[in-house]
Amino acid sequence: MTHRMFRTLTGAVAAMALLATPALAHRLRTAKEAATVAGSDMSVTPDRDWNRLSMAPGKHAETWTLDGEQLNDVTFYGGIAPDEPLVRERSKKRDPLPKFLQSTLLVEIPELLEGTYRTQKNIASFELLSTEPTNFLGNKGVRFTYRYTDDDALTRNGEARAAIVGGKLYMITFDAPRLYYFDKSIEPARALMTSATLPGGGAH
Amino acid sequence: MRALLAIAATLWAAPHAAAQQMLPPPYQGVYQPQGVDEIGLWREDDEAEKELAASPLVIRDEALTAYVKHVLCETVGDDRCNSVRVYIIREPTFNASMSPNGTMRVLSGLFLRVRNEAELGAVLGHEFGHFESRHTLQAFRSRRTGSDVLAWGALLAGMAPGYRTMRTYQDLQLSVYGSLFRHSRDQEREADRLGVAYLNRSALRPQAAGDMWQHVMAEAESSASVRGLKKPNFNAIAFTASHPPNGERAAYLTELAASDGDARDDGAARYREALATWMPVFLDDQIKLNDFGASDYLIQNLAQNGWTDTLWLARGNLYRTRGTQRDFIAAAQFYQNALALNPALGEAYRGLGLSLIKTARRTEGQAALKHYLQLSPDASDAAMIRLMLPEENSQ
Repeated sequence: MTHRMFRTLTGAVAAMALLATPALAHRLRTAKEAATVAGSDMSVTPDRDWNRLSMAPGKHAETWTLDGEQLNDVTFYGGIAPDEPLVRERSKKRDPLPKFLQSTLLVEIPELLEGTYRTQKNIASFELLSTEPTNFLGNKGVRFTYRYTDDDALTRNGEARAAIVGGKLYMITFDAPRLYYFDKSIEPARALMTSATLPGGGAH
Repeated sequence: MRALLAIAATLWAAPHAAAQQMLPPPYQGVYQPQGVDEIGLWREDDEAEKELAASPLVIRDEALTAYVKHVLCETVGDDRCNSVRVYIIREPTFNASMSPNGTMRVLSGLFLRVRNEAELGAVLGHEFGHFESRHTLQAFRSRRTGSDVLAWGALLAGMAPGYRTMRTYQDLQLSVYGSLFRHSRDQEREADRLGVAYLNRSALRPQAAGDMWQHVMAEAESSASVRGLKKPNFNAIAFTASHPPNGERAAYLTELAASDGDARDDGAARYREALATWMPVFLDDQIKLNDFGASDYLIQNLAQNGWTDTLWLARGNLYRTRGTQRDFIAAAQFYQNALALNPALGEAYRGLGLSLIKTARRTEGQAALKHYLQLSPDASDAAMIRLMLPEENSQ
């Protein structure tokens, strides 16, 4: 066994040991109890129990799921400031992600999410299906749907709502495999989106 | 000294070559794999191809697939190419590969890096060279120890719960297979030689192989310099990761090309026509990858055959999404260039409108958005755009 293979193997063992540790504190989010999300003031009140995953995709992001993040994934983005990416960058220098900018318009938020997914996952198959005005967090917002095929060759559908409040971006996305899981979990996900509030959010 | 080395190399290579010559070439008729290693490799490869054929990532466009096959046949000759099955995969990466059983995978990112049939043929011919010389089989035999790691990985992954672990295992599987199937530098040189030899015999311009290589290096340098990196990372480009040093390569590719072939047609016009419907899609896939330097280089490289509305639109979108104030000014100009060539290009009006609004030219911007809605009333974001227009226009 060469040195490099040995390293790969020890790396794998270490990764396995880490991942096998059970309680990295996923949390149950109980029905009817309001919870603030993504380290922000945005709060939601679920109409059923959800699991909050301990691994946050970014500094101002948080993921909830019903059956596992690959099967139904609700991600909250709570107050992304200008010049910040939506999720953590693998390498700021070599693999930078698109940034939310001060000049970003509401109608361009779907493009921002699209660019982030494409860059982060290095995929080409991403399609925006619809973009419509909506009311979100008591503000003018955008509701959009999309579809993409990840490198696990599974096609996923997505639906999101976003608003820019006080110069910061607030967004909730829902992603699930097109086959079975999207239809199964879209209603509880929509209920979460509708329940979202932001203190002082409706003042604009 | 050099002569001694040459003799040593011949002595070493001789038994290998003799063993190879016993077998018929893998493209001949309905070739059946020979020997336990090749049979095993082909069996695994048949399984992989079955999955690939059902993958949602494969672009199922008969015309495009037939065109790529046609260019392959033009390059390597009809007697060789018939056994090959071509799959075009939607992935914005510069790569193509050919596996032992004759499956050719072409990633859609390749189409932006070649500008004519000769350059496309250079890449396809190179990959075919690996197939014809059974490089994967040779590499498999020489690096068999790699599979020990896989066996351990599988055992450990089996002990752990959870999807993430399985994914890690799959990544391990991919990377170890990657090194298993990665060709050595000598094999790459051999494939390069074969690739140019095919082109020399074909009706296409063999100098294209060296040209393309220059462009690939320039693209990587452009990407790095915009990101403020000192050195480009050639290993990040799948196709170059295991290939000989790039400067050397461009030089010997040019040297190997038959000098009387320089005047031959490179098929640029035919290439452009065949890719007309897909080029906007592949360009869009590239510019949304947030790699400004590489994307801008690719657009300008493609524009060497003349600017089109598609290229101007892509460049406008690229600048608008990077989003500095000066980018909006440049983007507005690019959209206008696109509209000068094709006044019915609705999406260019959208980009123009948004860029103008961001540079404090709201009235003109709204006028452009109004044009966009007139040209594309059913656009997926029509309702949002309508909200951005003044009341009397929004009816």
